[in-house]
Parts: sequence; structure tokens; C-alpha cells
Amino acid sequence: MKALVVLGVTLAASSGVAAPPSRVLGIPGKPASDQCTACHQALDEPRLQKPAVLATDDIHYRQGITCAGCHGGDPQAEDPEAAMDPKKGFMGKIPPQKVPEVCGSCHSDASFMLRYAPNIPTDQLAQYRTSKHGLALAKGDTKVATCASCHGAHGVLPASDARSPVYASRIVETCGRCHGDPSLMKPYGISGKEIEDYKQSVHYQALVVKNDLSAPTCNDCHGSHGATPPGISSVSNVCGTCHLTQREAFDSSPHKDAFAAMEQPACEACHSNHKILPPKDEWIGVGEGQVCGTCHSSGDRGAEAAQAIFASLNGTVQRLAAARERVERAERRGMLMDEALVKLEEAHQSLVLARNEVHTVDPQRVAAKTSEAGGAVAKAEKDAEAAEAELRFRHNGFKVSLLVILLTVVALGAKIREIERRS
Amino acid sequence: MKLAEKLWKALDERYDLAPLLAFAKEKAVPRHRHDWMYYFGGLTLFFFMIQVATGILLLLYYRPTAEAAFESVQFIMTRVPFGWLIRSIHSWSANLMIASAFVHMFTVYFAGAYVKPRELTWWTGAALLLLALGFGFSGYLLPWNELAFFATRVGTDMVSKVPLIGHWLLRVLRGGEDVTGATLTRFFGIHVAVLPMISTFLILLHLAFIQRQGMHEPEGEAKLPPRPFFPNFVLREFMVWLVGLAALAALAAFFPWELGTKADPFAPAPAGIKPEWYFLFMFETLKLLPAEVLGIEGEILGLAAFTVGGLFWFLAPLWDRKRARGEKNPFALIVGWGVVLYIASFTALSYLGVFK
Repeated sequence: MKALVVLGVTLAASSGVAAPPSRVLGIPGKPASDQCTACHQALDEPRLQKPAVLATDDIHYRQGITCAGCHGGDPQAEDPEAAMDPKKGFMGKIPPQKVPEVCGSCHSDASFMLRYAPNIPTDQLAQYRTSKHGLALAKGDTKVATCASCHGAHGVLPASDARSPVYASRIVETCGRCHGDPSLMKPYGISGKEIEDYKQSVHYQALVVKNDLSAPTCNDCHGSHGATPPGISSVSNVCGTCHLTQREAFDSSPHKDAFAAMEQPACEACHSNHKILPPKDEWIGVGEGQVCGTCHSSGDRGAEAAQAIFASLNGTVQRLAAARERVERAERRGMLMDEALVKLEEAHQSLVLARNEVHTVDPQRVAAKTSEAGGAVAKAEKDAEAAEAELRFRHNGFKVSLLVILLTVVALGAKIREIERRS
Repeated sequence: MKLAEKLWKALDERYDLAPLLAFAKEKAVPRHRHDWMYYFGGLTLFFFMIQVATGILLLLYYRPTAEAAFESVQFIMTRVPFGWLIRSIHSWSANLMIASAFVHMFTVYFAGAYVKPRELTWWTGAALLLLALGFGFSGYLLPWNELAFFATRVGTDMVSKVPLIGHWLLRVLRGGEDVTGATLTRFFGIHVAVLPMISTFLILLHLAFIQRQGMHEPEGEAKLPPRPFFPNFVLREFMVWLVGLAALAALAAFFPWELGTKADPFAPAPAGIKPEWYFLFMFETLKLLPAEVLGIEGEILGLAAFTVGGLFWFLAPLWDRKRARGEKNPFALIVGWGVVLYIASFTALSYLGVFK
């Protein structure tokens, strides 16, 4: 019966290599025990010992899959000859071009994977074959990344494990091992500066510095197993998966068709691709270092719109900062400014929405949001004014009372002198 | 005028007030080069009365629970008309009262006023100073802010060093193992009922002793004709009170007492926790002591030394026989200046951040 299941699994697998036979598999969830690790851990040669040491922490090994699951052979045989007998399917070191097939023999098999991780995708191999890596490997280039290049060969950890090289915040280093090396990348027409650029981006700041795991890293835009550069027309789609509102605004703008006609990538044109810096209002305009100037020039409609948009954003920013300063000063001086702070937050929210409207390149839509912000700022300013008036009242009250007290002291002194002179 | 006379007559007829008036007219206060020192007792009393008045006003809104204390003080400071002023005055007046009490104590000490027959006046005064410190310590926790919470935790922890009954005392003081809402309620009760009751009684006793014995005149001062108590001394005292009030108003208006952030018992203690200034010299001394001295825990030794030193100071009327006989006592002067220098230098150095 077991043999039939194995046969079925083998037939179902889309890869050329069959899933491992059940004799090399243990019980899912229970760490494997085999002769391979026992003997190899005792070996002196690091090349042969290290994989066995790493294996005990490996996700596969912990799930009962022995070394023979990938390498073949007989995991229970004590005699090395018998254990590593090619007749028992022993392959030894798996050559790079075979790695995807070996991994895929299980990972592409939905019913096999069901036993271990029901939710894990099983299309990795299919995706890999469409990737730049997979296509190059198929052409015989063995320098490209295969599964083990990123996940490791022995001691493979789940991607959710922070020690794993494919853990979100470590991916940039993992990809960077090859892609950060310009000499290695040169034959492929890749600059090798992408990693360095990415490290200056808002995304890197959020992900690695602030440890916000929702921020994107290499694979979020390029795909994990199907890694490939997004085409020019799909850049805004890629960015838009997270930046939905900006994408909607952009899609409704005249830029949408204009960029498509010019065969220009959309978001990338202003924000760059890897070195995505924190956007600034000062970018808007046709002057030096301003992004609109790439296509527009002084005097055209685009330049006018840019000028209007910048003016309305900048005015709000200045006013908001001034109001915040006033409100915070009043708060430091002991006034209750809760409502004003709420208004300032509302204004800030409107400003964020106004900046989103920049993607429509419509000055009126931007102005609609900045005037909302202005309304909230006005309310905060009113509160600050009332608080300042109250503080003035307190200080004046103090001055008046101090004057009254001092006058009384002087009068009292005069009275005492008079009494004492009399007596 | 006629009505006032009529009223006086009616009252005098019923209560025989004429002798009292005669006494008030006769009452006089000694005059000499250092008679300015007589005003500090009265000034302390003035600040105490301000504390009572503002304390009662704060009671109208204050809620003594861990959940509501901070918010109620915040409410007083931001929503209640003039609440900010009342709370600020209460906090500043507390500090001025203790400062004034310290000045009063040292002037009395250096004048040698504590010797026979005024031992009980000295002792009631010393007890009143301890009560004032108790007021400060218990009141400090009431706003339930971060600083107060951790200062109280450190302060109450000292009690546990008392041999044998230390832990029991700690539990009684805190109302449990740690500083919690139970401690707050307890401190509130002590602050607004127990301490005021004992203080009022002791103040009356202290004043009665002074009234009965008259002011002490330091030895060797050139004597001037005495100053009539009424109206001369009363008016002068009133002037001093007004100056005290002006200082209080300036402090309250220009340095409003801060509220801080609400206490969070689970948060780590913020860096640089310090008690109020009048506890600083003890706090810094205890911190300076090594962990162990001759096999005894440094803190226990320090607290024992403070207890013995305090007791010695308290018992000055008993060991200072020379001054009782009207002789000079250089030893007492050396002790007095030593204490002043120690307290002043440790407090100043603590503020200058010398102890780290």
C-alpha cells in the first residue's frame, strides 16, 4: 500500500525527480534519527562534518526527513558502503542544476506537502523556472542562484525564523551576496549598485532599521522564486499593491496615458526604483533637482500646476508647524491643549491626503485637502490664542496682586513707624 | 462707633473680657539685635494656615484612588477655575513652610532658647517639624505621578531596614508588599486627617507654652525697651506674612508645580529618582555609604546614625547644662554649625549633581 502511495506521489510530482521513498521519512513533527548524521558528526573533516551538525536544526530533519531524503542512500545502514550505495539511490553532493528538481520533488507536490504544512505554496519550482535565475540555469549557467543559494543547503530554517537568510529583514543581505558584487553582476548587464541604493531607501529604513516587517524588501517587488525585474508597464502595479491610494490618484491623472505613450515607468520616474528616498514637497517644480523638470519646463502648464501644488502644500506645512509650536508652548506652560492637539493631528492627516493628491497633478484637488488642513489648523490656533490669553491673564493677575501686596507692606511699614514714633 | 461700643459692652458683660484686653495691651515682646528671629515661627504658622485652606479646596475635587488620583489632579489644574493656582500654592507653600520651620529651628537652637524652662516648647517644635516632613512625604505621593510613585517606593523601603519589625512596618505603611492604590488611600488618610489633627493639637500646645513663658531672650544681647505685642509686633508679623505671600505668589505664578506623567507600577523606574529637597541630605548620605561596614549593612548603619543624631539634637535641653546656667557652650555651637553645614552642603551638592 505504502509503495502505491509513493508511486502515486512520484507520478503526481511535476519534477523529474521523485519524492523520497517512505523508508527515508520519519513521522512528521518528530525529529529524524539516522546513521548519516551519527557517523558524519564524528568525522574530523569539516567539509563532511558540518552538514551533519547543521542538519539537526534543519526544518526537514526536525520533521523526520533524513539526509537520504535529498541525498538518497540508506539512512539506517551502519556500513558506509551500504549506506551510500548508488543502487539505493545515493547521489552524493547534488549538482547546482539538479537542486531545484530535488527540492521540487517534494515542494511541488501538494499532497506530499499537505502532511507537513497545509498552507505552504507548492508552485515554487514552476515560478523558479520562469525566473531569470531559472532561465539561466536551464541554459547551463550554474553560477545563478538555486534554492540552496538563498535558503541554505543544510540547516534550512523556515522563512519566519529570524535566523533564516530569507527572513524578511535579512533578504537584502542574502540577495546582496551576489547582487551587491558589481564584478559578478557585470556579465548579466546589472550594475550591482541596487543593494547599495536600496539601503538608502525608506523601505530599508522601515524594514531593517525600524524592524517593520510589512515594509518591502527585494522579493516583494521582484518576486521570490520567480525573481525577475518588473517590466516598465508593471512598475506602477508593483508599487500600487501597497500604495493603493497613490496608484488610484495617478491612474486618474493625465500622466497615466502620457507615461504609457512614452513607454516610461510611472512611479520610478520621480521616486527612482531602488533608492526610494523619503519624498519631499520641495521635489515638486521644474527647478534644479526638482522632479517635474525632467519633462516640463518653466512656463508650460505642468510647471504652473507644479508651482500651484507646491505653494498650497508648503503654505499648509508652514502654518501647521507654527500652530504646533504655539500649542506645545501653551501645553508646556500648564494649559490643557488636548482638543488643539487633536485638531493638529487632523490637519496633519489632511496634509497627508493632500500629498497623496499630488499624484493626480491637479492643483484643485490638492488645494481641496490643504484647505481642510487649514480649517483644522485655524481651530488649533484659536485654542492656542485662548490659552495664551489665559496665561497673560494669570501673569497680569499675579503682577496686580503682587503690587497690592507690596503696597500693603509699604503702608503697613509706614503705619508701624508712625505707631512706634508715637509711643 | 456707638454700635461697636455697645457690642463690646454686651460681650464684656457676659464674658468678662476686660482683663483679656488689659493683658493684650500689656503683652510685650523683647527687643534686641536678633529679634528678627521671632518672626519665623509665625511665618511657619502662616504657611500652615495656607496649607489648611488650600488643602480643603483641593479636597473638593481630589479622589484618592490609583485609578482616579492623577486624573483628578489634572482636572483641578486644567478645568477647575483657579484650580491651577490653588494646587500650585499648596505645593509651594508646603516647601516654604518646611524651609521656614528649618530656619525657625536653627535660630532657636543658636539662641539657646531650648534650655530650661523651655524644654517642652523645643520638643513640641521638634515633633511639629517631623510632622511637617510627614506631611511632605505623604502629600508627595497623592498626585500619583511617576516621580512620586518611585520616590515613595524608595522612601518606604527604608522602613524595612528597621531591625525585627522592619518588614511589618513596611506592610503597614504600604498597605501591602508594594506601593499600590492601598498605599495611596493610606497616605491620603494620614495626610488629611491624622497629621492635621496631631499638628493642630501640638501647635496649640506650642503656642500655649510660648504664651505662658514669653519669648526667650538670648544671653548677652543689649536690651532695649520691649516692643508692645499689640499692635506693633502683630503688624510687623503681618508684614512678614505679606512678604511670604508675595514670594509664594511669585513662585506659584512663574513656576507652576508640574503634574508629571501618570504612575505606571509596571514601568521601570526612571533614572535620577530624587526625594524632595528636605530629604536630599539623608538620601545622598545613604547612597554614599558602602554596602557593608564592619559586617553591618551600610544603609542600616546610616539610618541608625540618623536616628541617634536626631535623638541627640532632640535631647539638647538635657545635655546642654551650660547654657541653662547662662554660660556659653562652644560645644553646642560647634554641633549646630556642623549640622547646618552638613545639611546645606549635601543639599547643594546634590542639586549641583556632584553625587552620581
